[in-house]
Amino acid sequence: MADAITVPQVQPVQPALRFLRIIPGVLLLAAVGYAGKLLEQNVGAYAKAHHWTFPNIEYVLWAIILGLVISNTVGVPEIFRTGVATYEFWLKAGIVLLGSRFLLGDILKLGGVSLLLVAMEIAGAIAFMTFLGRVFHLKPKLTSLLAVGSAVCGVSAIIATKGAIEADDEDSSFSIAAILALGALALFTFPVIGHFLHLSDRAYGLWAGLAVDNTAEATAAGALYSDAAAKLAVLVKSTRNAMIGFVVLGYAIYWASQGQAKSVGNKAAFLWQKFPKFVLGFLLISVLATYHFFNKEQVGALANLSRWAFLLTFAGVGLRTNFGDMRKQGLRPFVVGAIGEVVIAGFTLALVYGAGKIFGW
Amino acid sequence: MSAEVEAGKTGRRRKLSLDTWAVLVAFLLALLVRAGVFKHIPW
Repeated sequence: MADAITVPQVQPVQPALRFLRIIPGVLLLAAVGYAGKLLEQNVGAYAKAHHWTFPNIEYVLWAIILGLVISNTVGVPEIFRTGVATYEFWLKAGIVLLGSRFLLGDILKLGGVSLLLVAMEIAGAIAFMTFLGRVFHLKPKLTSLLAVGSAVCGVSAIIATKGAIEADDEDSSFSIAAILALGALALFTFPVIGHFLHLSDRAYGLWAGLAVDNTAEATAAGALYSDAAAKLAVLVKSTRNAMIGFVVLGYAIYWASQGQAKSVGNKAAFLWQKFPKFVLGFLLISVLATYHFFNKEQVGALANLSRWAFLLTFAGVGLRTNFGDMRKQGLRPFVVGAIGEVVIAGFTLALVYGAGKIFGW
Repeated sequence: MSAEVEAGKTGRRRKLSLDTWAVLVAFLLALLVRAGVFKHIPW
């Protein structure tokens, strides 16, 4: 899908028309997601009834696979694309609603640990990706985009940094393609590695939140392991997302000092502009749940609403991933990204093991 | 982020970001659940 790897352009469109344009794509997301849910329920039962050995495949994976098959065979027709692009909206709404399942004390406890791990991950990832970019003679701004994409939060971070450091469209397309392709790979490899290493839900959730770049893929990678792992992956990934403003500001100041980008005026306003507001929504819902604004049944209802929102997100992850388009972006940024991601995955796994030893998990 | 507050090309009207919309919709749903409009959400 070409629009998945190019920087979105804002077109002036009437709000009512814009709303109508998203309907077909949202219906496609719902249909693919629901088909995934039906497949989870029925394929396992059918295999069991016929005494077949068949792995229990979760709706998350079915929805992603169905989306990938559509996107990479018949393609996503133009009429659906605007609506399919709303998967990021559903992801963020789902994360806010998921906040109802966290008590504030848990967030402060886990958030404190994850903040420390996130800081180490960001520093390690930026240093290593910068080193790799130099070794492979990538353009400096392309290296910056790849570093910020793998260190913080994937596509969103790349788009934010592109504007701040005045990078080329081509560089951001390369970086986004590499990060998306590697995120798709992580969906299939992380759960396998987690099971192979017998990681606990907590260790795996921490690892997925630290190492998988895009929020949608990190949520899906967590959900593929367990519900508890998904919750923790979302919390850790949200902590990473909250760092986006600081990292982008750092790069903006660096490139301005090199005379290759505009200097940043009001730094506080810059940080607020880049701060992901859904993290605040997540925290606020958690505060309300902690102080019993919702009863038990209502928390259950909000958790299910969050699941439905994630269902649309997972369908969107598959539908917007087109390997043909990614291949057109060239091999070198992908190779740099792949080497970087493997090293970052190993580094963050070591961090999780270390934290487990220190905190006695 | 893709979710910046942007001035429209044709006017000075400020648009809400994607993040803000997601938060508003999530809170609206949460309030509807709290008010008992949605009593049970099946999964």
